[in-house]
Amino acid sequence: MGGRLMVEMTIKAFNDFLGEKKIMGSRCRGCGAVHLPPRPICPECGGREPTWVQLKGTGVVQAYTVITVPLTRLKESSPYAVGVVKLEEGPSISGTILGVKDGEEIAVGSKVKAEFVKEDERTVLCFRPI
Amino acid sequence: MRLSRGVAVVGAGMTRFHHKVHSDKTSRELFVEAGIEAMDSVDNGIELDDIGALFVGNFSSDVFEKQTHTAALMADWFGLTPKASTRVEDACASSGVAVNLGVLAVASGAYDAVMVGGVEKMRTLGTEEVTDTLAMAADGVYEVGAGFTFPGLYAALATAHFARYGSSWEQLAVITIKNHHNGALNPKAHFQSEVMDTAVRLGERHGMTFSDEMEFLRSRLNPVVAYPLRLFDCCPVSDGAAAIILAAEDVARKFTDAPVYIRGIGQASDSMALHDRPDLTTLKATRLAASQAYKMAGVDANDIDVADVHDCFTIAEVLATEDLGFFPKGEGGKAAMEGRTALDGDMPVNPDGGLKAKGHPVGATGAAMAYEMFLQLRGQAGKHQVDGAMIGLAQNVGASGGTVVVQVYGR
Repeated sequence: MGGRLMVEMTIKAFNDFLGEKKIMGSRCRGCGAVHLPPRPICPECGGREPTWVQLKGTGVVQAYTVITVPLTRLKESSPYAVGVVKLEEGPSISGTILGVKDGEEIAVGSKVKAEFVKEDERTVLCFRPI
Repeated sequence: MRLSRGVAVVGAGMTRFHHKVHSDKTSRELFVEAGIEAMDSVDNGIELDDIGALFVGNFSSDVFEKQTHTAALMADWFGLTPKASTRVEDACASSGVAVNLGVLAVASGAYDAVMVGGVEKMRTLGTEEVTDTLAMAADGVYEVGAGFTFPGLYAALATAHFARYGSSWEQLAVITIKNHHNGALNPKAHFQSEVMDTAVRLGERHGMTFSDEMEFLRSRLNPVVAYPLRLFDCCPVSDGAAAIILAAEDVARKFTDAPVYIRGIGQASDSMALHDRPDLTTLKATRLAASQAYKMAGVDANDIDVADVHDCFTIAEVLATEDLGFFPKGEGGKAAMEGRTALDGDMPVNPDGGLKAKGHPVGATGAAMAYEMFLQLRGQAGKHQVDGAMIGLAQNVGASGGTVVVQVYGR
């Protein structure tokens, strides 16, 4: 293994883009696979030269839950929904699903759209059913 | 892959898994208790000098007890210094991985015998802090950052499975009832009562009566933790330790006339985050680890007489029994409903009560599965013995399947 890694494909860069209301993933120059969150190394082909790609933020719920025993950090928001959302462009990402307090309110396959929520210093990628 | 030198379990021990009976003990006392039982279980006796090295699975004594360097501490308190001691941390699969490393260490010829253990003291923290600590085994940035708890990840897997296969929470409830029944027969289990007994006891306290288990499990006394999983779908938070002694095939008979052989081992990893997996109705690492272990053992799923699988949540037992090949994909819950995984079923799963009823002191679980297989294949499991078990399997999962380790045992 030689060569340099695309060090800009960092968590910080991903989060900074969220602050600009952009969902940025990585596209492998070798095999074309798109990854979200962005990765310096393509898990499909081992390619190390990704480029940035912007995703629209619409997708469907692939799996979800409504949490009633929350993380300490999210005690005030409980119950809250969180799920795995498969975006139109292919990749999936985890996110809070806003406005859902009961597991029966949504289903696997429900359509959702990204929302960018300010939480303290950072911007968090969330989704809302549409 | 084949082992260049056969390896067998010649002794095994474990503490009871519980949240209260160990309140005055720390990890080192728990480990010593399990280790002594393992040493004393060796039929022809064994000395500390016979043990070449120690492998200890432990998830997070760092957070639970503000103590790291756990393996050296255990070696020290067990009188094993100056033997090599190694801590293994792979979330909930820590001591399952430690078992495989112990097997490889003996198979390599480096040691004739080793001790492999696991320990976790969890009840130093309250439920909220335990929730935060367990979540450390998921992707801290992209899953926990999004709000996932550890039960939440398995709850999400459940919704995907339900949607794809039409499986249901009622099938999960049957697994709860089955594993509590088995736990009631196991003196080492955290919960040793039938679900119905608990329903009556809790019902009396709240002025409620229930006609059967399902009515209780659907009631507010079994609250939702992470939809669709309820409290009784989750394993408890327990303290405990387990330990086994592995010996090379060529010396095993010195220690016992009834060794339990390691026939096959397997281990695989998968992406940490659920969102990076193409299929959320399966744990791919289980399928890969099992296929390695089956191949090494020269068996297939149909040959397994008894299995301990990683049911940290009831849905995990469904996934395991499908991914290990016991039942076709999508039919794990149905098989449980038909009683096929019960003690007297054609594929008994978690005869010891599983993580669900036996308890899950995270780092101790893989070693406790090895302990159970040692008992089962020697016909020493008492009231939860599976009749005539000759080939056993253990499947230990790290977090949501980022690590899976499988062992096949045989007489």
